[in-house]
Amino acid sequence: MVRLIIFLIFSAWAIISGIGVITFTNPIYVILWLLSALIAVAGIFFVAGAELVGALQLLIYAVAIAVFYVFVLTAVPWEKAIKKGSHYRMEGVISLPLVLLLYVEMAIVFFLGITASPEGKFRAFMEKLGNTEVVGSILFTKYFFAFEVVSLVLLIGMIGAVIIGRKESQTYEDDTP
Amino acid sequence: MESVIAGLIIAVIKILVILGIVLGVGAYLTWVERKVAAHIQRRPGPMVVGWHGLLQPLADGVKLITKEDLFPRYGNKFLYNLAIVLALVPATLVFAVVPFGPEFELFGYKIKPILTDVNVGLLLVFGLGSLAVYAIAIAGWASNSKYPLIGSMRKAGIIISYEVAITFAVMGPLILAGTLSTYEIVQRQIEQNLWYIWVQPIGFVVFLFSLLAETGRVPFDIQEAEAELVTGFTVEYGGMKFGLFPLVEWYVEVLSLSAIAVVLFFGGWSPINIPFLGFVDPLFFLGPFSPYVWFLLKVTALFLFILWLHWTLPRYRIDQITEIAWKVMLPLALINIVLTAIIAPIVWR
Repeated sequence: MVRLIIFLIFSAWAIISGIGVITFTNPIYVILWLLSALIAVAGIFFVAGAELVGALQLLIYAVAIAVFYVFVLTAVPWEKAIKKGSHYRMEGVISLPLVLLLYVEMAIVFFLGITASPEGKFRAFMEKLGNTEVVGSILFTKYFFAFEVVSLVLLIGMIGAVIIGRKESQTYEDDTP
Repeated sequence: MESVIAGLIIAVIKILVILGIVLGVGAYLTWVERKVAAHIQRRPGPMVVGWHGLLQPLADGVKLITKEDLFPRYGNKFLYNLAIVLALVPATLVFAVVPFGPEFELFGYKIKPILTDVNVGLLLVFGLGSLAVYAIAIAGWASNSKYPLIGSMRKAGIIISYEVAITFAVMGPLILAGTLSTYEIVQRQIEQNLWYIWVQPIGFVVFLFSLLAETGRVPFDIQEAEAELVTGFTVEYGGMKFGLFPLVEWYVEVLSLSAIAVVLFFGGWSPINIPFLGFVDPLFFLGPFSPYVWFLLKVTALFLFILWLHWTLPRYRIDQITEIAWKVMLPLALINIVLTAIIAPIVWR
């Protein structure tokens, strides 16, 4: 009962923040709404008993990712941030079908996922070992291949960032002799 | 139902005690800092208000509160005030996962002197600790002024760099303890008869550097840099609003991270350790209070060490600071993780 009330509070918080993200025009306020939504989702994870996922949500999404938006946006000139109206009405209308398509896809994956997930299979396992250990052992046994593929994708992204970052120094070298 | 109410009452008492200790001690640490700094520089420090200036924090508080509240003309008032809240709340929330002593029994209830013993306590520390970067970035932006913006950008860069180093630095103790719960980490150190500082000196050094950088203590206080930026992101703040930022950064955050360092590397509330042999407790006559005294002593020693650094060292440049983070501290932390991961299973399993 207590758990349900707390869950409702967090989910209402998340939905209100989500609406805030798409209705406010000042980019700094939008980022703050996004941050609030991410924290609310972390709260939902905590209520569901997934402490590790909740803490990672807080550490990775709410801090590591959202902070880069703030980092960029603090460089936005003041006049641009407080101007009214948006240039992106047209783009919004065009992107609507794509958004709907993505939403339908999400719903389908969700409903397929419910039937595919092993219901109640991990519960005994989790009570015996604890949250972090269960995630670790499942990740490194059952989903090991997917885990390695994801790490490869991250490695590719990192190499790409390094190459993009190095371009500037190369042009400097070309100028010096 | 009765146990739920009892749990709630215990939680409320714990929250009040922790908040009272943290904010009260935080305010009084300003006096400690001024006294220590003064004696390092061979002056008496505050002497006029009360015996040896003991009432100085109260006088400072009255002065700060009664000051006129100035606000920059084209700033953003909402964000300007929000930044203060964003600075204070995460810093005090970190104390929710700091264990102060061993479990004890009172009126038939088992009480752990820790607010929430979640099994991911350490991750929460770093998540909440780095939420501080929002306060600084927003304070700099909402002031609509050049110096605050430069200060906040510098600080954001430092926090992002050192957040990586500090997370890798604590991996060593994590591998040795095999758990993320702060309470359990101390328990394991007591069971293994080993403070992790003896086997993790590299991890501790990296942690200490990151601690200094994240709290803006001196070798890394480039976001303040009073010689060039006046006081960085707090330039446009006045009165108590100005006072809260150093209070949070220099005292509450230093205290919380020192407590975490004590938990990770110095065995929390355990007495002096002889590696692999056992513990020697010269304070045995205090009985059940001795663990709390030990915890307090260790945190105080670490805090004084940080003060000592603050008042003796000169300041680095911003590029040197980030260079240390990425080119020295991160590789060191990674080497430490690999060494620990190789050696730990041989010794303990």
